[in-house]
Amino acid sequence: MFDLRIPSGIFFVLLGLILVSMGVFSPETRAALTTTNVNLHSGVLMLLFGGFLLWLSKRHV
Amino acid sequence: MNLGVVDYLILALYFVFVLGIGWFLKSRVSTSEDFLTSGRSVPMWITSLAFLAANLGAQEVIGMAASGAKYGIMTAHFYWVGAVPAMIFVGVFMMPFYYGSRARSVPEYLKLRFDEKTRGLNAITFAAMTVFSSGISMYALGLLFQLVLGWSFTASVLLSAFIVLVYTFLGGLTSAIYNEALQFFLIVLGFAPLAYLAVSSAGGWDGLAARLPDVMTHSWRYLGDASQNPMGVEVFGLVAGLGFVLSFGYWCTDFLVVQRAMAADSMSAARRTPVMAALPKMLMPFIVILPGLAAVALMNSNFGYSLPRKGDGYDYDQALTTLMTQFYPSGMLGVGLTALMASFMSGMAGNVTAFNTVWTYDIYQSYIRKNAPDSHYLMVGRVTTVFGIALSIATAYLAQLYNNIMDLLQLVFGFVNAPLFATFLLGMFWRRSTGHGAFTGLLAGTAAAALTHGLTLAEGKGGYLGVWHEFPSTMAQNFWIAIFAWTACFVVTIAVSLVTKPKPASELKGLVYGLTEIPHDRHEVWYKRPAQLGIAVALAGVLLNLLFW
Repeated sequence: MFDLRIPSGIFFVLLGLILVSMGVFSPETRAALTTTNVNLHSGVLMLLFGGFLLWLSKRHV
Repeated sequence: MNLGVVDYLILALYFVFVLGIGWFLKSRVSTSEDFLTSGRSVPMWITSLAFLAANLGAQEVIGMAASGAKYGIMTAHFYWVGAVPAMIFVGVFMMPFYYGSRARSVPEYLKLRFDEKTRGLNAITFAAMTVFSSGISMYALGLLFQLVLGWSFTASVLLSAFIVLVYTFLGGLTSAIYNEALQFFLIVLGFAPLAYLAVSSAGGWDGLAARLPDVMTHSWRYLGDASQNPMGVEVFGLVAGLGFVLSFGYWCTDFLVVQRAMAADSMSAARRTPVMAALPKMLMPFIVILPGLAAVALMNSNFGYSLPRKGDGYDYDQALTTLMTQFYPSGMLGVGLTALMASFMSGMAGNVTAFNTVWTYDIYQSYIRKNAPDSHYLMVGRVTTVFGIALSIATAYLAQLYNNIMDLLQLVFGFVNAPLFATFLLGMFWRRSTGHGAFTGLLAGTAAAALTHGLTLAEGKGGYLGVWHEFPSTMAQNFWIAIFAWTACFVVTIAVSLVTKPKPASELKGLVYGLTEIPHDRHEVWYKRPAQLGIAVALAGVLLNLLFW
């Protein structure tokens, strides 16, 4: 049976990795109206969400 | 908006995943029902998210931010009044008949419950409408990407249509539904940071309240009189027109959304699908409407942000995209853009799959070729995917050339849709209602809608038969058109039913209240019981309205 939590989890983990590495290696990439490191923060959020989906898929079969 | 390499990389990654999901699900399609109705096998959490995402097209996301900037938090009524109650109602009260009847589509339910002509009328108008609306949203997407990214209209229309085509062609409805769940996550995670950044820059909710006129931060306080609020509606028109007729007409009878619930793997799951979906639905305003409010608040406080101008006013439709370019750096900008693309695709795939099923089962199998082997209908379903998308593309180009025709068509479809809920309500809960009653009721409702439009005027619209009444806004006019259409359909259906012959009870098993067995669920925990869940969700909705009164 195809479990959607696995591909979705992988997708958000990959997205998170891209954003976090942008935030870490290129912290000067900022938008015009904010001083927050948006990529780093959103990247962590995506990583957590992706990890959560993968954890769910392991826990409940 | 300037995109970097990383932004394109993220967009490409998303394409790989949606296509991959379609590819994986390909092996699950062996009959026409697998392709067109998912063989009733999808887990409930996925159908719930798909129920929500299929309605959450790009036009909706852009339009809600625009209305937020124009009207304020009152826009949330399109969710709190205009969706949540109807979603609970369709799950708790109507799904037993849709799911229990074993009909494969909403028009087919009408055929089983009433007669062939009622089904035909519904199937044909629905099929035309889905192609038309997916064409219109494709057109809107093409324009938007042209404006924001400088992409060519043709390239963005064809690329997005092609991706949707491939994954629905491969995995059918199941693929569309699974992708809608992924798209929903992406829409939320792609837009929520923007809402957070924009609102916190404007000083949080208190900052918004201080920088905006009072009428924009209260959802109910100014609804007593149409002249007091920017929407130009009053509380009765809003609750009866939007909250009852239009909202129940859409969420309870539109096959686009109902199809998602009907794909669930059990009756209980089908009933809980829209109820569960109502929970995130009532929170969506915080993601899609608040950025609009924040845009105006930021503009009022010399933050360095300004909405682009259009004529004498502002181009509110650009609120979301301009905020994105100002708050998202390269990287997250790619995610935001991909979320926009995802919302467009979820809306389009919703239209395409609903069109497929209605075309194949309700039009082709009923009027063109009956009694063919199932493999033939599977093939027709696949061909219809290509054909439906091609028609949508043609409509998108037509919309580009003849904007007036599109407005007219939209108006006519509005007339046809307005009375629908009266027909379903009577069909499901009044055993005595007949096919002749339903059919004449629908015609009378459509005529009443056209007549109301012809006799009233709002912002220069309507009034071609003389002006009996003038509405303060086209929104108020629409709400009242719906109220008259529904009432006419309700009264005429009852009147004609009383003088025509009803179907015998034996033919109505599983289709009408009182003749349908509703499985007992007393031994289940409360959140697995549709009615109990519905009450909990309704209470949450009431609380939200009180908070933003």
